[in-house]
Amino acid sequence: MRQPGERRRGLAGLLGLALLVLVALLFLYPVLLMVLTAFKSTPEIFRSPFGLPESWALDGFADVWRRASFGRYLRNSLLITGSSAALLLLTAAPAAYALARYSFRLRAGLFLFFLAGIMVPIRLGILPLYLLMRDLGLLDTPFSLILTYTASGMPMSVFLLSVFFRHLPRELEDAARIDGCSELQTFWRIMLPLVRPGLATVVIVNVVPWWNDFFFPLLFLQSDTWKTIPLGMQIFFGQHLIDWSLVFSGMLLASLPLLIIYLLMSRQFIAGLTAGAVKG
Amino acid sequence: MNRTIRLLATTLALSLLTAALAQTTLEFWSWRTEDVEAYEKFIAAFEADNTDIQVNFTPYLNTEYNTIVATALQGGGGPDIVHLRAYGGIEALAEAGLILRLDDKVPALADFAPGILLGATNRADGGVYGVPFALQTVQVLYNVDMFEELGLSEPTTWDEFLAVGDALKESGVYALANGALEPWTLETLFGGVGPAFYGGDEYLEAVTGGEADFTDPRFAAALEHMVALQPYLAENYMGVGYTDMQSLFAFEQAGMLIGGSYELGTLAQLNPELTVGSFAVPGEAPGDAAISYYVDGSYGINATSPNQEAALRFIAFLATQEYGQMFTDELQQISAVPGVQPSSEALADMVALMDEAGTPYLMLTAFRYGQPSGSTLLQNEMQAVMGGDQSVADAVANIQRGVSEWYDFE
Amino acid sequence: MANARRWWGRHGHLVVFLLPALLIYGAFMAYPLVSSLSYSLYEWDGFIRRGFAGLDNFVTVLTRWPFNERFWGALRHNALFFALTFVIQTTLGLYLAVLLARRWRGSAFFQATYFLPHTLSLVVVGFLWRMMLNPTWGAVAQGLRRVGLEEWVQPWLGQSGTALVTIILVNAWAWLGFPILVFLAAIQAIPKEFDEAALVDGANGWQRFRFVSFPLLLPSLAMVSILTFIWDFNAFELVFVMQGASGAPSYATDLLATFFYRTSFGDPTTGGEPGQTGLGAAIGVLMLVIIGIVSAFGVRFTQRSQTEY
Repeated sequence: MRQPGERRRGLAGLLGLALLVLVALLFLYPVLLMVLTAFKSTPEIFRSPFGLPESWALDGFADVWRRASFGRYLRNSLLITGSSAALLLLTAAPAAYALARYSFRLRAGLFLFFLAGIMVPIRLGILPLYLLMRDLGLLDTPFSLILTYTASGMPMSVFLLSVFFRHLPRELEDAARIDGCSELQTFWRIMLPLVRPGLATVVIVNVVPWWNDFFFPLLFLQSDTWKTIPLGMQIFFGQHLIDWSLVFSGMLLASLPLLIIYLLMSRQFIAGLTAGAVKG
Repeated sequence: MNRTIRLLATTLALSLLTAALAQTTLEFWSWRTEDVEAYEKFIAAFEADNTDIQVNFTPYLNTEYNTIVATALQGGGGPDIVHLRAYGGIEALAEAGLILRLDDKVPALADFAPGILLGATNRADGGVYGVPFALQTVQVLYNVDMFEELGLSEPTTWDEFLAVGDALKESGVYALANGALEPWTLETLFGGVGPAFYGGDEYLEAVTGGEADFTDPRFAAALEHMVALQPYLAENYMGVGYTDMQSLFAFEQAGMLIGGSYELGTLAQLNPELTVGSFAVPGEAPGDAAISYYVDGSYGINATSPNQEAALRFIAFLATQEYGQMFTDELQQISAVPGVQPSSEALADMVALMDEAGTPYLMLTAFRYGQPSGSTLLQNEMQAVMGGDQSVADAVANIQRGVSEWYDFE
Repeated sequence: MANARRWWGRHGHLVVFLLPALLIYGAFMAYPLVSSLSYSLYEWDGFIRRGFAGLDNFVTVLTRWPFNERFWGALRHNALFFALTFVIQTTLGLYLAVLLARRWRGSAFFQATYFLPHTLSLVVVGFLWRMMLNPTWGAVAQGLRRVGLEEWVQPWLGQSGTALVTIILVNAWAWLGFPILVFLAAIQAIPKEFDEAALVDGANGWQRFRFVSFPLLLPSLAMVSILTFIWDFNAFELVFVMQGASGAPSYATDLLATFFYRTSFGDPTTGGEPGQTGLGAAIGVLMLVIIGIVSAFGVRFTQRSQTEY
């Protein structure tokens, strides 16, 4: 026999599903629009902004690829973003661990010190940062970006990871110590793998802004060798003339690598994020 | 012995030859991302005559350009050749010694019109720090074919202008493509409409000479006439942005556009079939019509550049009539170099208008030396007025108050 | 010597853990920012630093027109930005997470879709939505016309009354995926036994949520809220792309970060206005103080409310 609660859940369930679908459509439509627009010529974009493109030809993309030196810039973006992510994890994780699991005099102060970094607009510091890179000889090298990105991602990552580390039970740590593990070994072998969802979150949240950042590459990079994708895209934004057709094709191309990686990894990322959080 | 001498001689000759062929590379930064191909042509022409110099043109995003250049120059880096903004845009760089003073180093500058050199002058020491590159004018651009079809002619009084607007509206298009979403487009509107009502040169001299300020009724009259155009603007004009304006006019959904001479290039790209005519916004009486003009910027040299000699040669080239002609022909803009003939009819019309009825673009030329600049104030206050949030009287009061914070009207 | 070795034996691991992060962060973020913040204590003439000015710049920003009007206006706008975003993510965001936790068949699809806007550059997001919100031929306007709601069409981005809220909504569109997923993870971490026990005790759906799930979600809620606060008070790029740095229309979308940028470097949309380094830096310091104080409270709250189980 159907319980009263069950019937209510049936209707509520249907409404819930409707809401989920509605919101999903809202999130998907603009992206779909971007894809469609990327295939249109500029006059067509203004004439029929929502219709299907007249032609699905890929020449616009080939044009963008060539003019924005996409091949080279893609390699650079991958290299710089990847290295920054790796460096960030290697440095932020132990720092977060130390701040979360040990108590020592400087702890609160250090924690606030890290956090303070996100409370100021980063563009405030560009002159001293530029001078520093110049003095270190890092201008026009990928290291200027890697170090800047890692540093700017540090506050939030340390904060996030410290929350994840805090949740781990003390017994694990104690057991490891009894077994003769050093602090480093405890961290590396036992505690770190348990915060995989935290690591995944840190990577995802940071990688996207880095990949799409155009300001710091603009500031630090001069020669074409190391430029990243967003810089390549600039060429289409004139002072008085914006080549809309190429801009949209370019935006789609520039978003594609992240979109692909995301779609491939979303299962893992979400599974890691949700499964890891379920207590085992 | 002979062989050794011959070997030495050859080596010497070869090294001299290599030295002669040794290239200096100049870095040239600009905000003109849309002109890359044109500049590469200009540079090729220069390099053909100066084989020991190579110039790399690197454009940066317009909205970030000022920040990037300022930071790089302050940091002792940056390009050799700097594309400089006009008027207030160069003073800070000049005062800090970051760009080179040029009036004693580039003889060709003496031939430029003094009014034009003002755009590249540091008022503090009177020095010229750049070679002006282009002039822009602000006027009414109109669709020649559409006017012909409707039997309309260029209006000579304000009432005639409104009548033209009515006729266009009746035929089913917008009279003016202008919108108010982006504040700077309102300054353009002011540049087109204003001079006929605030009294052009006369008022400018009064304001900068200490005899008047923005509370002068002439200034308010100019703003009132901007507001009077509201019924002629596109529907929902508060949401019409710059690119919308260009497309509305280019794709013939509006008959007129109050815009700059720099639009010619863009319009040609958007719709090559379009024939563009221009006229000055008329005043109450025939003969009151006036348009605004201004220097768009100049080419300067980084004071810390290690390649000053080569840079000076390139800058000298940019001051020649040969270059000015190439510039106009290729980019469809008015060159600041004296003696250059405009290439297209539309451009020639604008130059004629400028000679006849031109007056310096009020805020841009005279009130960008402090913060908040006259331009920023005008733009933001008028946006509030056009949106119905504020009266012209309040706008005038705010503009006056804002500029007085850093400008002495005495 | 033996003392040093003993100290190292006891605390050496802390140094190893913390030093790399401190070095990189210290050199490439803390130092440049502190350096720049110190500019606020001097008087500047364009790019030339004149004399020591003490707190003059702060007094100017907080009391002198037009800077003070802009500052307090921007602060109000940031507060609204955070408040509205917070409401959206703790109502709609949380509810969507609760729905997703019920393991629908297409759950993975929904999760992937909600996070999708996060992968787009804010420049792309800004452009897309500007295009869609165009009152003449944008998707939103056309959609409204098609369902007969023509009167609702307005220049949302061009009116001072609607511009800021519109931008906040666009930001929520791009941002919501992150809170949804964090909440989802937190909900799924709640052991089933708690919920089942409540059910046995006769609690209905809402009561189970209010008394069982919600308290256990508080840490995640708090963490996400703090991050949202910090990010919203530093929000710059989306507004910059959609409206420029002048806070158009008529300062209605002016945020602390755009006010800072415009003051420091000159309004880029105007094209050629000189910047004021000292005043800009003073704004930066004020932002740090405001965000710092509120966040400190927030972090305290988070640490107190964390439940380990």
